[in-house]
Amino acid sequence: MVEMREISEALMKGDAEKVKNLTEKKLSEGASPLDILNNALIAGMDEVGKKFKTLEIFVPEVLVSARAMSFGVEALKPAWKGKEVRPLGTVVIGSVKGDVHDIGKNLVVIMMEGAGFKVIDLGINIPVEKFIEAIKEQKPDIIGMSALLTTTMGEFKKNIEALKRAGLRDEVKVMVGGAPVSEKYAIDSGADAYGGDAIEAVEKAKKLVGKA
Amino acid sequence: MNRAEWMTPKRRFLSGLFRGKVDRIPVGNPTSVATVELMEETGAFFPEAHLDAKKMAALAAAGHEILGFDTIMPYFSVQMEAPALGCEMDWGDKETMPDCTTHPYKEAEDIRIPTEEELLKVHSITTVIEAIRILREKYPTVAIIGKVMGPWTLAYHGFGVQNFLMDTILNPERVRKSLEKLQEISVAFANLQVRAGADAICFPDHATGDLVSPQMYRDFLVPLHQKIVTRIGAPIILHICGNTLSRAQYIAEEHFDCFHYDTKTDIIELKKVLGKNTTTTLIGGINNPEVLLFGTPEDVKRQAYFAAKAGVEILAPECAIPLRTPNNNLKAIIEAAKTIPINA
Repeated sequence: MVEMREISEALMKGDAEKVKNLTEKKLSEGASPLDILNNALIAGMDEVGKKFKTLEIFVPEVLVSARAMSFGVEALKPAWKGKEVRPLGTVVIGSVKGDVHDIGKNLVVIMMEGAGFKVIDLGINIPVEKFIEAIKEQKPDIIGMSALLTTTMGEFKKNIEALKRAGLRDEVKVMVGGAPVSEKYAIDSGADAYGGDAIEAVEKAKKLVGKA
Repeated sequence: MNRAEWMTPKRRFLSGLFRGKVDRIPVGNPTSVATVELMEETGAFFPEAHLDAKKMAALAAAGHEILGFDTIMPYFSVQMEAPALGCEMDWGDKETMPDCTTHPYKEAEDIRIPTEEELLKVHSITTVIEAIRILREKYPTVAIIGKVMGPWTLAYHGFGVQNFLMDTILNPERVRKSLEKLQEISVAFANLQVRAGADAICFPDHATGDLVSPQMYRDFLVPLHQKIVTRIGAPIILHICGNTLSRAQYIAEEHFDCFHYDTKTDIIELKKVLGKNTTTTLIGGINNPEVLLFGTPEDVKRQAYFAAKAGVEILAPECAIPLRTPNNNLKAIIEAAKTIPINA
């Protein structure tokens, strides 16, 4: 019998192959994919998040765990067939125009997906027109914008103004984040919420959709 | 000539860099001071200013001519070595910074160190060298700062940040070998700039507290940085963004002449580690996103006083400044420096 804890521990070590193998084995032993997702994978990432917050671990450790998580999520896929799971909400996310950095954003995507959000990742260097298009097509609950550079974080405010002009500002909640961004800067730019890191981003997103 | 004339911007800066006598606290910019306002005043705009030595020199010189800084630093981005590594480039536009769009390395063995002759055939490399030559000739009494990326930052370009950071755990041997090889590019490019006339070299190596653990900094970088410091023929200024307090003790062991710190690092605490007992002085102190970009000249002056009082040897913006930063906020650093008592 594979213990949930074994999967979590392999995930925390970043051993992606082991996470995949154990997840498959656990499924074959009859565990439900939801049970594995919540009690092995998300539980593991939760601990990773806590250790990240207390500076026990840093970005490389989180990245290899996130990669291991994606191997586990992939291994679960065949087992979901025929079972519908309602997402907590839909998030459209991207790095703003002029910014090609995506590590922080990618971590947010993995953590949000892990927590049960449907995430549409637009990628890097995203002009506001693309965000607007995605709002119209995907009707997300939340728009997430990321910027790593002090030279690009000015896009937040510009983009939020553009959403207002397009009459879409009230349709979505706006979250922003990135290494140089502070909570004050985020709110001054007109955002609804700020995530200091990927874990906090998930907590804030849950609050915004009333699921916290 | 009188005594005041003897203390040129260059002598002031270099004296401050070595914790020597100065007539007032020096003001410098080890990282880019280019702004849209300065581009408009000089007629030298991004992206041309990255690849045209005359425009690069003209825009960089505005930091001294228009803002009054004691230094001129012509390398505006973090990407001038990237083409020498084999990366393809997007040079950006007027308001966006260049970035490499491909990362050619998978293994340490993929890294080929160019000879000096080959390096001098890379346009972005020769642009910086030529700009330094122009500036040296035109400004003999101003401190000209050159800049090279350290091996850690070069590895971000060559492998991609995410892959490289994962390798630090999944394949530390590959990381070690790669850094060892990449230092050759940093050292060669630095010494070319020194020969062209640079008075000091800024050395950004982005292993910040926001990204990697202090243990990783110690194990991968300290021995390497110690070696590099001895191989570059000019004073060398380490630059790391973000909060670096957790690795300050290791920075002290590296014996850089100066450390360009980010205001996310508590200066009072930092000064306890990089204090008078170490050879490393501090440059920086003015916050970019809140104070320089959105603050007032009064905010800037207040922060300049605070930094000087905390023992920062040279005042500077903490990092490459946001392109929309108003000139008046940058000029306020100099105005403050002129009124700060020397032993404030």
